[in-house]
Amino acid sequence: MAFWIELLISGLVAGLVIGLSALSITLVFGIARFPNAATGDTMTVGAYGALLGHRATNSLLVGGLTGAIAGAIVGFLGYWFIFRKLAQRSNVALLVASIGLAFVLRAILGVSFGHSQQVFQLPLVRPWRIGDVPVHPNDLVLAGACATILAIVFAILHLTPIGRRMRAVADDPALARVSGISPSSVMTVLWLLAGAVSASAGIVAGIKTVVSPEMGWDLLLPAFAAAIVGGIGSPVGAVVAGLLIGVVQEMATPLVGFTYKIALSFLLMLVVLLVRPRGLFGKLEGAR
Amino acid sequence: MTIDRRIILQAGASALALGLAPQGAFAQAEAYRIGALNPVTGAGSPYGSGMAEMIFAAVDEVNAAGGAAGRRLQVFADDTQTNPQSAVLAAKKLIEVNKVNAILGTWSSGVSLAVIPLVNDANILLMHTSGAPALSTPPANAKGYGYRFQATNDRFGRAFAEIAVKEGYKRPVTMAFNNASGIGNTQGFKKAWEAKGNKVLAEVVYEPNQPSYRAELQKVLAARPDVIVMGSFLPDTTIILREAFQSGANVKWIIPGWAANPQLIRALGNEATEGVISVDSVANEQSASFARYDAAYRKGQSQPGASNVYAAMTYDMVITLALAIEAAGPGAGTAQINAKIREVANPAGDKVFSFAEGKTALAAGKKINYEGASSVLDFDEFGDVTPDFGVFFITKGQLERRYVVKI
Repeated sequence: MAFWIELLISGLVAGLVIGLSALSITLVFGIARFPNAATGDTMTVGAYGALLGHRATNSLLVGGLTGAIAGAIVGFLGYWFIFRKLAQRSNVALLVASIGLAFVLRAILGVSFGHSQQVFQLPLVRPWRIGDVPVHPNDLVLAGACATILAIVFAILHLTPIGRRMRAVADDPALARVSGISPSSVMTVLWLLAGAVSASAGIVAGIKTVVSPEMGWDLLLPAFAAAIVGGIGSPVGAVVAGLLIGVVQEMATPLVGFTYKIALSFLLMLVVLLVRPRGLFGKLEGAR
Repeated sequence: MTIDRRIILQAGASALALGLAPQGAFAQAEAYRIGALNPVTGAGSPYGSGMAEMIFAAVDEVNAAGGAAGRRLQVFADDTQTNPQSAVLAAKKLIEVNKVNAILGTWSSGVSLAVIPLVNDANILLMHTSGAPALSTPPANAKGYGYRFQATNDRFGRAFAEIAVKEGYKRPVTMAFNNASGIGNTQGFKKAWEAKGNKVLAEVVYEPNQPSYRAELQKVLAARPDVIVMGSFLPDTTIILREAFQSGANVKWIIPGWAANPQLIRALGNEATEGVISVDSVANEQSASFARYDAAYRKGQSQPGASNVYAAMTYDMVITLALAIEAAGPGAGTAQINAKIREVANPAGDKVFSFAEGKTALAAGKKINYEGASSVLDFDEFGDVTPDFGVFFITKGQLERRYVVKI
């Protein structure tokens, strides 16, 4: 039993990173209507930002905020200089532009920080034992941080006027426009938020693993899978699907081994799309 | 990083100078073009600039001794970025634009495996420092133009087994990064360990770039091992050791030297790395050739030569190649030069320790056996060498060499 609980915890922790990055993808997809391939590299920007902030102040909180702000700025700049100009183009053009932005970000990070790995210098602590199950105190901190971030994002979406406008644009951009909602303010907030959320995912991944210019790009595929499984455009769906993918991957390892666990997230995606094409929490798109 | 730019510029400048100015004694014979393809950036960056610099140092030594078979050696340098795609682009440029006759100094198996087909197609030599067993045999080494100056991963695995016996471990498990090098290490260990009548209790092959390796660790730790034998690289080793420490595991580690290095200690601190056994091939430190290499390395990099065994390998590549060119005589092509490599490096000839010494002996009609700075450099039928292995224990954040294992 302890064996399975331990796997479950591993899965939840891995799933948090996937869920946060999927949340950023799904926010952009819901409102700006294209798959943002620069999400992975915005994560990396966040991780480096947090690394610098943490080194300068020795406070993980300040580091995390620095990283989130760096991610928000990158998200906004990407919108202002690239995606805003391409807003009227097909979403393939936007997707390709976002891949280009991803390369540019990675190259800038590589030139500025080098390609060797960097780590957050945090004290290593031995685990607590609850029964037979080791619990890492650091994981609890990270899980708490993730929960806080999610609470903030959902509060913005559901409790503020700008959040209501964002949801209106997501539902029907044309109707939102004729109701007098300015797309540019919605978009600005969206990109700041999406950038900060991807950056948070990158920071958590960076703390758990190592920081290198390629790290975000490497985590992008499961994040896309989670966004699709959860239902494109559904924030709750993205987070739930991220956790689900993490848990399924880890719990399945005694059966399928470690090499094929990655394939499982895509198997899960296939099954969900076959049985429920709109994803777990997705809405049916009406024909226009 | 200024040193890297300098090296690349130097190469460009010397190429230019060669094109413009008459070269005196070398004027008639065409220069022998060497591509120095090293991991200047990326995971190999702690070694790459030293490796490139030692190619230049050895080439200077050969040219100062009058060149090989009347030909001057000329270097074109490029960076693999420790990345197969970038390495292939760089190798293409070296082969097609610079028309090099040999490529020297690729590091990491993924890179060498990606470059060797180009080298075979172009009918030139590849001398590399990678461990993957697949580099020994066809299709990778179908023409026998590939030479390995590092031990194979299989031999690393054999050394791991010797160490496990010597340290009295009874319950080993293995964890391997899913590529030719990682699995080569742990399979080599398993073969040698089971040949001694022992058992490996659990084996895990893991994927790169995972947000966590807890499940993988959980599986091997469930076997209650006394030592975990790794076939791994730096980033994954960093994550796995950190998670093992944080899950309260009390276990020893045997890890290849390219993963358990000072960067790992910097990343994790002294406590989590205490007692880790790091294994790397060691240079042929008692030899006169090592002394020559060491002097050149200290001059260029202001560090002892023993700190970068891969630079000793690239130094040896140039000397071995130059001796083979000399032995093959003027106007020899790749096939003739290739046929001479084992002749100048393997026993039964007189032992020589530098290019000048070897050239004189060859001129006197003697057979020679170059003893390298990196190892005694005797190539088997696959073009592989068998260096000795240094066994380093991480003690209070320092890599402390306790003994040497010979296989």
